[in-house]
Amino acid sequence: MTRAKWIFIAGLALLAATFAMSWQADHPTWQIWQERYNAEPNVTPVPIAIRVLTPTQTGKPELCLTCHVGIEDISASHPAQTFGCVVCHGGDPLALDADRAHATLRGGRNPSALNVAAQSCGQPQCHGGYADEEQNHVDRVLKSLQATYAGGIATVRYTFGEQSSPVAQFGLRAVSDASNPLPQNALAALREFQAMAGTIDQTFQENCLNGGCHLGTLPKQPQEYYYRSTGCAACHYLYADDGLYRGSDPTIPRDQPGHGAFHELTTAIPYTQCDHCHNRGNYSLKQMAFLPRDDLPPVAAPIPTTMPPEGRQLKEYYQPIAQFTKCEVELNCVDCHTAQEAMGDGHIYGSKKDVQYIQCQTCHGTLTTTPPVAAIQDANELAMRQARINGHADFLHVGDRVIETPHGELLWSIKQVAPGKFVQMDKVTGKIYDVPLVKGSGCTQDGKTQTSDYCHQCHSVVR
Amino acid sequence: MKLWRKEKSLIYALHPEKIPASGARLTYTFGLGGIAVFSTLVTLVTGLALTFYYVPTPDGAHASVVLINDVVSFGAIIRGLHYWGAQWMVIAATLHLARVVFTGGYRPPRELNWLIGLGLLVVTLLWDFSGYVLRWDDSAYWALLVGTNLFREIPVWGETLYRALVGDAQIGAAALLRFYGWHIFGLALVGVFGIVYHLWRLRKDGGISRPLLKAGEARAFISRDELFFREFITAALAAAALVFLTLLVPSPIGPAANLDAGAAEVRAPWIFLWVQDLLRVLPPVWAGIVAPLVVLLALALIPFIDRRGGNGRAIWFARERWKPQLLLAVIAMVLVALSVREVLP
Repeated sequence: MTRAKWIFIAGLALLAATFAMSWQADHPTWQIWQERYNAEPNVTPVPIAIRVLTPTQTGKPELCLTCHVGIEDISASHPAQTFGCVVCHGGDPLALDADRAHATLRGGRNPSALNVAAQSCGQPQCHGGYADEEQNHVDRVLKSLQATYAGGIATVRYTFGEQSSPVAQFGLRAVSDASNPLPQNALAALREFQAMAGTIDQTFQENCLNGGCHLGTLPKQPQEYYYRSTGCAACHYLYADDGLYRGSDPTIPRDQPGHGAFHELTTAIPYTQCDHCHNRGNYSLKQMAFLPRDDLPPVAAPIPTTMPPEGRQLKEYYQPIAQFTKCEVELNCVDCHTAQEAMGDGHIYGSKKDVQYIQCQTCHGTLTTTPPVAAIQDANELAMRQARINGHADFLHVGDRVIETPHGELLWSIKQVAPGKFVQMDKVTGKIYDVPLVKGSGCTQDGKTQTSDYCHQCHSVVR
Repeated sequence: MKLWRKEKSLIYALHPEKIPASGARLTYTFGLGGIAVFSTLVTLVTGLALTFYYVPTPDGAHASVVLINDVVSFGAIIRGLHYWGAQWMVIAATLHLARVVFTGGYRPPRELNWLIGLGLLVVTLLWDFSGYVLRWDDSAYWALLVGTNLFREIPVWGETLYRALVGDAQIGAAALLRFYGWHIFGLALVGVFGIVYHLWRLRKDGGISRPLLKAGEARAFISRDELFFREFITAALAAAALVFLTLLVPSPIGPAANLDAGAAEVRAPWIFLWVQDLLRVLPPVWAGIVAPLVVLLALALIPFIDRRGGNGRAIWFARERWKPQLLLAVIAMVLVALSVREVLP
C-alpha cells in the first residue's frame, strides 16, 4: 500500500473515533427518560439536563430525578426536598447508569421490605430508636402477627400433630420480648420456624410461607386483585387491582403489572388494599394450599382511580358465607382496626384472637354505658399526629374528646360532638358519619351478651 | 545562533538517521514496545485530566469517580481511555517482554536494558494496582486490604513496611492519599524516567537486535522519515482502536466501599488473580511475596542463563535458545492457569 492510502485509512479511523466520542458524550442514556417524560400528555416539559436534588436533611446531592423525573413525592410527611431518595432507598446518588445507581438499593425496589425496614423506615429518628415504644413502628411490626405468622404456623403444626399444644412456638423469624410482666396472652419469645425436610412443615413452607401468606413475601403467582408489596409498603403503598402504575415516573412501565399505583405512602388505606391479602380466598389445610376466590369479576379496565366505585365493597369484598353489619361494609377496615391491631403493640402474640380487640361496643357503648372518652391534651400527642398524617388536621383539636379503647388507644377519627353524640370520619374518603349509641336505643340485648357476634344476629346487612 | 535545532531533540536522538529494516518489521516486533509507550502517554494525558476532578479522600473518592464517569463532560471517555490505556500498557509490556525472550533480544549487550525493562514491568503493575485502589469501590477496597496485609506477614520488618505503605494502623484516609501520591507522582516519575532510560539504552546498545548477516547479504535500512511514518500510522490506528474499545466496554466501577457490609467477594485486579489463587493454597507470605519475587528473579536471570552468541539471535523461537523460551513458557502457562482457576466457579 502507498503512504497516501495508509494516511487515508489512519485519518479515517481517527475521524470516526472522534465522531463516535462526540456522539456518545452527546447521548447519555438518561436522556431518553426525560424525552419520554416530555412526550407524555399533560406534563410541563422539562429542559433536557441532569437534575440535582440536594435534600436539606443530608445536604448531599442526588441525581436520581435525572431519570425518575416526575416521580411523585412519597408522602407529605416525607417530602423529597427534605429527605431525598437515598436516605430510604440507598443506592448510589451520583450514578446515572441504572445498574450502578441501583446496585446497592436497600431492599431492591422496596426499602420497607421486612429484612431491611430497620435500616430504612426504622432507622433512628425516623420510625425507630425512640424511648417511646409506640413510635418504633418497625420494631413493633417485626414482632406482630402479620410478620411472625405465629398463629398460622401454630395452627398448622398443631393440626398435623407436630406440636402438642396450640400455643405458638415459632415465628418466621426469631423474636423476643423482655417486658416484665408481659401483658395477658403475650409470649416471651418465638423461635425461628425451620421446616424439616420430609414433614408437613416442608409443604407448608413451600406452599404457604413462601407463597405470600405474611408480610414478608410476595404472592407466588401475582395476578389481578392480588398485587401488593411487602413490609410497610404491603399496607401503606397502594396497589391498584390491576397492579399498574399510574404516576408520572417515565422509568416505571405502565403496561407491566406489579407496581404500586403511585409512588406514594398513605395512612388512608382503602379496604381494597387490605383485600390484596385478606378476603381473597380460603386456606385448605387438606391440600395445604391457598384457594383463590373464583367469584370475582375481571378487573374493570381502565380503573379511574385507586378507589373502587361505590357498592363494590358489599358485592365482592366479603366471602359469601359471612355476616356483616352496615358499618363494616360502608367504612374502611382502618376505620375500626387500630394501629395496634394491625401493626402490633410491641409484644408477641400467637393468635389473631389475642390481637383483635375492637368490638361494636368500643364505639357504640352498651345498654347502660356510653363509650369511654378521653380529651386531647396536646397538639403533638399520637391522636393529633395520626389526624395530621391522615390529612385531616382540621378534624381534631386540642380539647376534643375522642373514644378511648380498652387498650388505651385514642380513636382520633371518632369524636364526641355533644353529650351522647359521636361522629366518625372515614379515614379514606373523609365522609362524616353519625355514630348511633346502644344506650337509649330500642336494643333488647341482654347486658351480659353484648359482644360483636351477638350484635350481628340482628344488624347484619341483607345481601 | 540557533537555540534549537531538530538535531538536538530527544525525538531525533531516539530516531536515528537510519535504522536496520529488520528491526522495524511489523512481524518482528509487532510494535509492542511502541504501543506500550503510546498507552503510557495516553494514561499520562488522561490521568492529568482526571486529577482535576478526582478527590483522594475516603468520602470523596468513589463519588468523584462516579461524577467523572456520569456527569463530567467527556468524563466517561477520558476515564475509559485512562482505564483501557492502562490495561493495554500491561498487556503490551508483557507481550513485548515475551517477544524479547522468544527472539533472544535480551542477550549481550542488552542485559542491562532487559533488567530495566523488567523494572518497568514492575512499575507498570504497581501503577495499575494503585490506580485500581483509587476507585475506592468495594472490590478495590478489599483488594487493597488483602494486598497490604500481605506485608504484615513478612517476618521482622512486616509491620514497619505495612506502616510505611499504609500510613496508619489500618486502611483509611492515609492509605488512600499515599496510593494517590504514588500513582500520580511517585510511580509516574519512576515510570517516565524508566521509559526514557529504556529507550536511550536501546539506542546505546545498537538499536533493536537484528540477525547476523548471511554471507554476501547487505543490510537494508529504513530512513528516519519512514520510521516516523510507521509510528504515526500505528499510533493513529491504536488510538482509534482504544477509543472504540472505550466506547463499547465501559470501564468498571463497583458500589462504594462499605466497610460495615463485609466483603461479599474479594476479587484482585486481573493482573494479580494468580496471586489471589495461590493465597488459597499457600501461606500468605509465600503466595503474596515470595512467589512474585521468584517469578521476577527467574525472569531477571534469563540473560545470564543464555549467554551464547552467534546464530539464532533476533529470530523468533530460535532452537539454540530453548532454555529461556521454555522458562518463560512455563511461567506464563502456570500464571495463566492459576488465574483461570481463580475466575472459574
